Amino acid sequence: MIAHRHILGTFEESLAALRNNVLMMAGLTDRSMERAMKGLFNRDDNLCANTIADDEEIDQLEKQIDKEGVDILLRFQPVASDLRRVVAAMKLSTNLERIADQATTIARRARKLNQHPPLPEVELIKPMHEHAMLMFKDSVDAFVREDVKLGCEVVGRDEKLDDLNQTVSNKLVERMAQNQDQLRGYLNLIFVGRCLERVGDHATNIAEDAVYAAAAEDIRHQHAAARA
Amino acid sequence: MTTPEPTAVERVERPVEPLPAEESVPARTFEVKNLSIWYGEKRAIEGVTMDIASKAVTAIIGPSGCGKSTFLRALNRMHELVPKTRLEGTVLLQGEDLYSSNVDPAIVRRRVGMVFQKSNPFPTMSIGENVVIGLKLNGVRDRRFLNERLEKSLRMAALWDEVKDDLHKPGTSLSGGQQQRLCIARALAVEPEVVLMDEPCSALDPIATAKIEELIYELKSKYTIVTVTHNMQQAGRISDYTAFFYLGRLIEFGETTKIFTHPSERQTEDYITGRFG
Repeated sequence: MIAHRHILGTFEESLAALRNNVLMMAGLTDRSMERAMKGLFNRDDNLCANTIADDEEIDQLEKQIDKEGVDILLRFQPVASDLRRVVAAMKLSTNLERIADQATTIARRARKLNQHPPLPEVELIKPMHEHAMLMFKDSVDAFVREDVKLGCEVVGRDEKLDDLNQTVSNKLVERMAQNQDQLRGYLNLIFVGRCLERVGDHATNIAEDAVYAAAAEDIRHQHAAARA
Repeated sequence: MTTPEPTAVERVERPVEPLPAEESVPARTFEVKNLSIWYGEKRAIEGVTMDIASKAVTAIIGPSGCGKSTFLRALNRMHELVPKTRLEGTVLLQGEDLYSSNVDPAIVRRRVGMVFQKSNPFPTMSIGENVVIGLKLNGVRDRRFLNERLEKSLRMAALWDEVKDDLHKPGTSLSGGQQQRLCIARALAVEPEVVLMDEPCSALDPIATAKIEELIYELKSKYTIVTVTHNMQQAGRISDYTAFFYLGRLIEFGETTKIFTHPSERQTEDYITGRFG
């Protein structure tokens, strides 16, 4: 009894369509984040505008994925790994949409920063950006490859991102005290840092859902429980 | 200090350890050990070992011809009605061997009632007579007792309110769903310990099916129920435990929630997700 495809072809097609839309949404979200950050680092208003414009398409994809997920639940009543994949895909789309919202916020902050002379402190954001984007890409990878080990690793990386954000915020607050002319600029950078920290949180959610989809294991809130 | 829960990674990498003995093992109605059944030369059931929990619903699932119904019928010796059957292994009901030479099959079938795929009220009998026929055949003549048991059984089968004014009408005058509940009332009238159901809803419409499912849910507080079903969603809705059979063997048996969210066996996963073929 070796069978990897569903006997019901329409079920197979619906699951494939849902997965493809999730992958497309992940790709667009990744592009939005990269454009927003390039817009910040390269002071490129066009990239920022593109990021803001693309958000609409990602919002529509979120609705499309939810609709397809509900449709599959209604029509095929999936169980076991199929059920977990559908539920995880629907939750994934919510997190992707929120990451795209963070990209839009970063793009808006970047446009404000671009109206003033460059701040060298923008360099402080780069390690956070690299860390958050790696978390995001690995979390999507964990979902696509159903890689439990990678999913768990991503979850463990969130604490470092929180620490990085704290460090960057502290430094920027110090600079605000030293150079009050750039208060608004530093404040915008603090908000960008917070956005990246939120991206890490959503990547963590995606990684947790990836572990659930692959291994039926709920690993949410284990760090918080361990700390308590 | 308590030891922290191992992470998913640790669990994945750690070799599987046997589960510690559970402190509270649910009470068992049946203990089936190494059961094999043949119809002539053909082996229908092969080495099945499983315990069936008391006052719970156990669903038996699997493709056609996998031995589900044969297994179910072996729980009240109904399979013996088919010529040239042979059985090996043991089936204990409350610790008593059902197949011991001094056990009367008729007594077994009174203790373990059965409801079939197609409702089968006795066509020449009224609704009331259908319910109490089992008691009458067992020599009960007390009219008052029979009337009390009639009402009690019909109430338990959630049929009393619908038929209380028509008890004299033929059982076959009822709708399909009502007839099936009449058969359940008939099975309950002799106060069995177990009710076996062989695809009890497969010939019913969704409303009648929902009523039977609701009834099964209510009955499990008093009876042990074992049901065969081809409907995965129904198994998921009504049962506490699920057993998956394939080619006469028990592939996987466990809590229904576990079987339908994360089965341990690939064959179970392939069957319940519709990849089987």
